[in-house]
Amino acid sequence: MRGVSCLFAGAWLVAAQAIAADVEAGRAKAEVCVACHGLNGNAVLPGVPSLAAQPAMHTFLQLVQFREKRRRDPQMSPFAEKLTDRDMQDIGAYFAAQKAAPSSFVVDANKAAIGRKLLEAHHCGSCHMPDLSGQNQIPRLAGQNVEYLVKQMRGLKDGSRRDIDGTMASAAQALSVQDIDNLAHYLASVK
Amino acid sequence: MRSFFTRSTVSKVAGWIALAAAVLATVNPVSAQQPAASVVQAAPAPQVQPAQQPLAPPPPPSWQQGRPESMKSSTLAPNPPGLTAKPASEMKLDKIKLLPGFSIELWAQGLPNARSIAVGAKGTVFVGTRLIENVYAVVEKDGKREVKTILKGLYRPNGLVFHNGALYVAELSRILRYDNIEDNLDNPPKPVIVFDALPKDEPHGWKYMTLGPDGWLYFNIGAPCNACVPPDTHAAIVRVDPKNGVMETVAKGVRNSVGMAFHPNTKELWFTNHGRDWLGEDMPNDTLHRVSKKGVHFGYPYCHQGDFVDPELGKGRSCAEFTPPALKLGPHIAPLGMRFYTGKMFPAEFRNRIIIANHGSWNRTNKIGFNLMQVTLDAQGKPVKYEPFAEGWVDGNNYWGRPVDVQVMNDGALLVSDDVAGALYRISYKK
Repeated sequence: MRGVSCLFAGAWLVAAQAIAADVEAGRAKAEVCVACHGLNGNAVLPGVPSLAAQPAMHTFLQLVQFREKRRRDPQMSPFAEKLTDRDMQDIGAYFAAQKAAPSSFVVDANKAAIGRKLLEAHHCGSCHMPDLSGQNQIPRLAGQNVEYLVKQMRGLKDGSRRDIDGTMASAAQALSVQDIDNLAHYLASVK
Repeated sequence: MRSFFTRSTVSKVAGWIALAAAVLATVNPVSAQQPAASVVQAAPAPQVQPAQQPLAPPPPPSWQQGRPESMKSSTLAPNPPGLTAKPASEMKLDKIKLLPGFSIELWAQGLPNARSIAVGAKGTVFVGTRLIENVYAVVEKDGKREVKTILKGLYRPNGLVFHNGALYVAELSRILRYDNIEDNLDNPPKPVIVFDALPKDEPHGWKYMTLGPDGWLYFNIGAPCNACVPPDTHAAIVRVDPKNGVMETVAKGVRNSVGMAFHPNTKELWFTNHGRDWLGEDMPNDTLHRVSKKGVHFGYPYCHQGDFVDPELGKGRSCAEFTPPALKLGPHIAPLGMRFYTGKMFPAEFRNRIIIANHGSWNRTNKIGFNLMQVTLDAQGKPVKYEPFAEGWVDGNNYWGRPVDVQVMNDGALLVSDDVAGALYRISYKK
């Protein structure tokens, strides 16, 4: 057990160091983000991801991917173009420090029940963590917007969205269109 | 010699790849993202699935394969990728411990995900990347050092070789050649495809490439998993003749090698290899190997580090069936680039020593590696000493950088690449 607690402490330090960013500076820099991503990063617009409680490194690295045009979106890309690494780190730190609000999305209970089983069969918690809160570069999925989840999983499957190291693109190959829908309903329902 | 084919037998190759893909499906149904231009079709396009019929569930992600049930709640996971260039203020070069007389300096910065290093005849330093599609060139102009991104949009361009004026780039599944590159850094020519029938598996799919004294290109085809019985085509070091596209297997039973070099005197190939994960904090060792005979088998997945039978996959097998490594390097340290020291700047005893860049561990509670080690060989080529060369990229469990490759410069100094800091360092010696 001692080893385990050491490990947690270590992981926390790594996270703290990796951020080395400023939540308050991030709040100011994120003002433009909340127009779409919602108050404190809790999105309500369909198809727009929530950023509240996302791991700081995930938000940071996705902004980098947008700026470097390795990830593209007509709405998002222009905002990332002008940001420095430091801006992105601050914005990531800010959203990581926000609380995820309960989603108001009305989940299809049947789909969510199937999705829950798929989650285990497809080992989603391996990288996204058992509570789906994400870690480091891996995004939080709990309570995420359902349309956004569907779009990303479909994109990863057909190659129109590339992930950083191919792990998620590989995982998505085993998901059918129906699977993706069911899984998204379950993920959106997780508090 | 088992996989021997030429570009004129593309259909055979396609069958070979399709077969590999079929075998692989049980291990890892991947072959996910593919480079834009590919001549050989890996397999026919999959049939559209009926909506209600779920696809077979996949295995866990490759890094987690082989994790025992007892470690189910382990929080160990691969270190996050480095995709940016850190400012100099975040590189703690004053913390790097070196031997007396040696010093380290920041030589170039602003190279996100900097990986393998190759040096051109006119002194251009080329740097590949694994995760961000770029190849960089560092040039000296009017006494100033300049970093240029010369190639963009490549797929896992990790392996680089400079030869006869051309830059060879090993992507995930192709080898490309850019002729007369040093005279065209601002406007590189369209590449010539040297070879494009390599597997497209993502796990251990990126290449380290080196030039043999025979003019062939040597590189790895890693196991597409942590621990599995790989297809016959994988877990190997192979070579391709750039003149005609002939390919041969050089060594087998190699889980994944991301560093190799030829001994300057004996002309034998030496390489570093990553041991499998999830067999414990201190087992098995990563290893250094010497290829004394073409086609030799080094044991993966049945035997690790030359003397440790895999608890599952090694059932009924013995380490006596395989060639042992030349040296055990330590568990989980992730040895990457290695070179023999052939320069004249360092003291005479450094001549022909191997210097290895260790990327550092993830599958271990306390991080180790994140350093450069040196191996001294005796007259018979047997390792007799294994000791630190440079340390200090990690402090406790916090790392600020990760060494990837080393390269001896014309003046005898050693360049080191770092894919987390996005930088190159220069280690020099003064009496």
